[in-house]
Amino acid sequence: MSRFGLFSAGALSFAIPLLQIKKILQDSRPFALPCLPATVTGVLVDEDRLVPVLDVGLLHDNGTCSEKSYLYHVLVESEYGTLALPADLSVRIVSEQKGTITTALKEYPPWVVGIFYCQEMKHFILNIDFLAIEMTQGFWRSTSEADAARRHQ
Amino acid sequence: MAHVGNRVLVFRLGGIGFILDLRSVVEVQGAVSAQLDASRSDISQGIVAAMAFRGTWLPVVDPAAKLGLPAAVRMKDQVAVVLSSLEGNWAILVDAVDELSAKDSFVSCEIPFLLKASACSGYSQLKLRNAEPFVVFDPELFYGSPAMQA
Repeated sequence: MSRFGLFSAGALSFAIPLLQIKKILQDSRPFALPCLPATVTGVLVDEDRLVPVLDVGLLHDNGTCSEKSYLYHVLVESEYGTLALPADLSVRIVSEQKGTITTALKEYPPWVVGIFYCQEMKHFILNIDFLAIEMTQGFWRSTSEADAARRHQ
Repeated sequence: MAHVGNRVLVFRLGGIGFILDLRSVVEVQGAVSAQLDASRSDISQGIVAAMAFRGTWLPVVDPAAKLGLPAAVRMKDQVAVVLSSLEGNWAILVDAVDELSAKDSFVSCEIPFLLKASACSGYSQLKLRNAEPFVVFDPELFYGSPAMQA
């Protein structure tokens, strides 16, 4: 039985398989660094390692760079290293039996691998490996989503 | 007495901490605006002004411009750090100089794999102190033959 972490960041509600969550940090301070991609808002220091913080504001429908500060950071493991996703207070861990999972339809962006419906709320299940590459290597929204999806097949 | 080679100058640019090997530093000068001549700039070489220093003119480089950092303080409030190089003295403009510190108070820290491509043009090393990252300032990336070719 798999479990998911359910989070929200502004208008975005998202789910991450628990196995991909390394830890959740509260009140951690992101630091700026020079030459960061526009989609990375800073880095966190976790156990003497730097962790890029992705701008989840860009995942909203009308996504623009986010100035908002968040209370939590979810550290998630990708194939390319650890990433941090900012999140608001509503952090929950639930088993998949507490909701319904559907695969993402074609009209959803390629960073959504599925939808987890739980207590009448819709959470996007994030493709962390996709976000890791697209948001840190200068590809974000610079090519069509079909091209992006092909890069990750 | 601490040896110069074991110490670093800690400075800030755009709110970010940088460290610079003290052996490269000739002098630190505050309130430099009166000594700057912006008409003697060569932007193609990254030189934003010339600075009067000990009876001569030094090229002044603004590292924030190359690193894409927003201006945190006005130029007239910036501090000039005069550096030595094989091609003579030159200066960088920084927002503030924090302190001199022992080199071994910083520990090495890897640039995350996902950020290596974006970082490579401006720095190649990071260090940590008290859970804060500091960029190791490499003068050769900003002035002198290798920097001009970049």
